[in-house]
Amino acid sequence: MLNFLLAFDNLTPMNWDVLKPALNFLWQGLLAIFVVIGLIIISVKLTALAIEKTTAWKKQREEEKEAQNTDETTNS
Amino acid sequence: MDFLLEGFKALEWQQVVMWIIGGLLIYLAIKKDMEPALLLPMGFGAILVNLPLSPVIGSGTNGEHLGIITSLFNVGIEASEAMPLLLFIGIGCMIDFGPLLTNPKLFILGGAAQLGIFVTIILAAMIGFPLNDAASIGIIGAADGPTAILVAMQLASKYVGPIMVVAYSYMALVPIVQPAVIKLCTTKKERMIKMKYNAKQIPKLMRILFPIIVTIVSGIIAPDSLSLVGMLMFGNLLRECGVLQSLSETAQTTFSNIITLLLGITISFQMQAAAFLSFETLIIMALGLFAFVFDTIGGVMCAKLINVFSKEKINPMLGAAGISAFPMASRVVAKMATKEDPSNHLLMHAVGANVSGQIASAIVGGLIIGILGPFCIL
Repeated sequence: MLNFLLAFDNLTPMNWDVLKPALNFLWQGLLAIFVVIGLIIISVKLTALAIEKTTAWKKQREEEKEAQNTDETTNS
Repeated sequence: MDFLLEGFKALEWQQVVMWIIGGLLIYLAIKKDMEPALLLPMGFGAILVNLPLSPVIGSGTNGEHLGIITSLFNVGIEASEAMPLLLFIGIGCMIDFGPLLTNPKLFILGGAAQLGIFVTIILAAMIGFPLNDAASIGIIGAADGPTAILVAMQLASKYVGPIMVVAYSYMALVPIVQPAVIKLCTTKKERMIKMKYNAKQIPKLMRILFPIIVTIVSGIIAPDSLSLVGMLMFGNLLRECGVLQSLSETAQTTFSNIITLLLGITISFQMQAAAFLSFETLIIMALGLFAFVFDTIGGVMCAKLINVFSKEKINPMLGAAGISAFPMASRVVAKMATKEDPSNHLLMHAVGANVSGQIASAIVGGLIIGILGPFCIL
């Protein structure tokens, strides 16, 4: 019945010539999307880490500067 | 008096069927509040382009007089795909990627929830659709109107009209389709899994760098997705940079509204009876539903798989929020979670998965164009 209806509208069911590239397409597409996502996750994590480290380093430097200033004031 | 009867004489029954379909779309938009911003213009457009001798389409055998809708279609969609791409700027402006940046692991769910697209392409190809049409039908599973239009147009599918109507209709039906599929794939115990939300402050620099990173990564790995992802991320950068408040607000409201309005009525060009009324349209409707169902299954199963290896359990329902239908999918999941356990609040996690689906669907759209290009008979 399905075959009849599809043939009616010029579709060619179970077209193996098209199926093979479609299957190829499935693994290529899924692999590519997960590679992109994986790279984005890694980049985001690395950027977040870099930002965190820089902020901590800046904070530490400011604290050291402040401590140095306090020492200088006390000495003078 | 013959001139008064010209319209009646040219009227065909297929056009009357299209009026009914147009009326149905308008009814769904107004009465059921289903994607009214698009279904209403599309519904009215379906009536407009199916009136006999409609001047909005044009006349003359060689198209010497182009009607307004034909001209809009030629310029805004066919020639440059400008309308769907410009809409992405507005969408990017509306999205807050904060919940995703809080838990980047959710990005995986956005990718997994694209499974339906690929499975549907295979099924459509098996049914007998040429590969370019099969891929255009599969992209309905992206649950993303502009991506569906862009892919169908770039692959020169002859089913752009039905694909658009089906894509937007199913997006509106997410609250009906998804809960049933989620319940089929999960146990009550799984649906009750609670997740802590660590509402840490995302540094402004991270928010600014995120759209740039995504653009560069997807541009390098999947260059064909760049027009979609680039516009989406450009919109997001406008939002996050903090110095273009006025542009950001305009993109989110006025700009998006104008594009949506024009897109809806322009798409109706593809709803002319001769192209729309076919048995294939019915098959496309069934395949569209299949794509949505398998997207949901893909996301849920991926969340379950992550739970096997992860100490911190993810509520598998979040996988269903990985489809691009924003914000319906996340609302559906959050609502289901509180229904199972009133103290279980998953909204922020669901939003994270949902916005990742937005990016993933745009990337998949580009990948499809890129990978399929060589196979397509254009």
